[in-house]
Amino acid sequence: MASTWFSAPAPVAQRVRAYFAPVNRVSQTPVLFDPSQQGQFNLDAPPSPWISLGWIQDFVRKPASKSSVLLAGIPASPLEQVRETLQAQVSFQFLSWTKLTMALATGSQHMNVLAAASGATLSADGAQAVPAVIPLSGSTGTSILLASSDAAKFSPGSIVAVDADYTGQTGFVGNPVGGAYVRQALTDVDYIRRVTFNVVLVAQVAPTGLTLAAPLPGGSPATGAKVQAVTGFVDREGGSFYQEWSALFAMQGSQGERIFFHYPRLQTMSGAEEAVNPLNAKNNNSQSRVLLKGQFLALPVSDSLDGERVVCYRSFLPAPNALV
Amino acid sequence: MQNAKDSFYMALRTRLTAINPDRTILLRGAVRPGILVEEAEAPFSQTPNDVFVLRWLGLARDMNLATTMAAETCEVIYQTCGTQSFGGLDRGRALSEMDEELSAMLQLTYTAKMNYAATPPAAMLTQVFWDEPVFGPVVINRDRLSRSVSVMVYSYQEQGE
Repeated sequence: MASTWFSAPAPVAQRVRAYFAPVNRVSQTPVLFDPSQQGQFNLDAPPSPWISLGWIQDFVRKPASKSSVLLAGIPASPLEQVRETLQAQVSFQFLSWTKLTMALATGSQHMNVLAAASGATLSADGAQAVPAVIPLSGSTGTSILLASSDAAKFSPGSIVAVDADYTGQTGFVGNPVGGAYVRQALTDVDYIRRVTFNVVLVAQVAPTGLTLAAPLPGGSPATGAKVQAVTGFVDREGGSFYQEWSALFAMQGSQGERIFFHYPRLQTMSGAEEAVNPLNAKNNNSQSRVLLKGQFLALPVSDSLDGERVVCYRSFLPAPNALV
Repeated sequence: MQNAKDSFYMALRTRLTAINPDRTILLRGAVRPGILVEEAEAPFSQTPNDVFVLRWLGLARDMNLATTMAAETCEVIYQTCGTQSFGGLDRGRALSEMDEELSAMLQLTYTAKMNYAATPPAAMLTQVFWDEPVFGPVVINRDRLSRSVSVMVYSYQEQGE
């Protein structure tokens, strides 16, 4: 007869799943993951504001903290240890190319290529854009109401960016996520829509407006927001901006146990880099998959429990009926 | 290990019923989902068409763990001649349909381990889990297309098993 417990061997897991949430750059507030309340969340539907980025591969955690030994006595022998530096790194490969995975895998700001105005001068970031249009009141996170003449400028399957005009401000810009840091006033009125994360695919176009394929990350368009067509994305090697996000990595064990690695603050630490994997390992000339490589530096937070500075939390939720 | 084999079969059978309820077989006078365990049926001279046949093969055990783990190789065999209404010209499509059904059945790579020798079946403490399937090449025998798929199924041996 079966007993009511078993000795669980080391977890067996197939893959790692990644979730990211925006750090409030202005207030430097990360998003925290609470294993006591959120540990059993549906891996396909993470709690807000976590965004699932799907499976990742080649996930490597590298603790880089250094300790040194205080010696005392003759002959000298270890008296105690002290932590000299606190640091950790994480690296992995994304299995998809999206606005967010591209942004996370680049060392600098990530920009939307806005649809170019007719006859505009060539520019590496995308030329002067077709003017943005104003959403009407009543717009929601999944439906943008427009004047019929404005709606006619968009087509199903296109991408739109929804954010405010740039009006000369400095500091972090972009809603709901700071997409860039402006150090000195710029002249491009579309700059915020170039860097915003509030982008989405258009599913349907009607004379009354746009139906979106997914909810806008920022929810209903904010007051003053405008809509502009996006044709792609561009990022640069160089610049001074660092992406910073809260990250959560989850491994589901074969017996229902879960391992979480929670990094409240992760900053991208390397430039854009890709890994090219042949689909057929036996044929080097076969089609290859191009994967985004991400390498991150973990920054510390003060744990409100005891004031200790930490860079990562590892949580383990044991399998049901497993001895601990 | 028998509990793990039974649980794996029952999980696939339940999933097949949801994926394609029309895939059935008349066996021993009863209409059942179109999946069976070869070693639990009377020997047949020829594998039946349009059903999934599970054949248990290799076995390995890791006894260095806190709880012994067993790894068993399950070969899933299926074949088709297509349908009579299309004169068998749809046999390629029929095989693709079975490929997709098997992939869907195996997509969730674990199931609860049950003791089906008990009445009613009793839930055990651990879960049975498996690797992604390895699809073999299509074998063509006149108008019959067949395929063999290999799945490694793992389970922990609980006390009393």
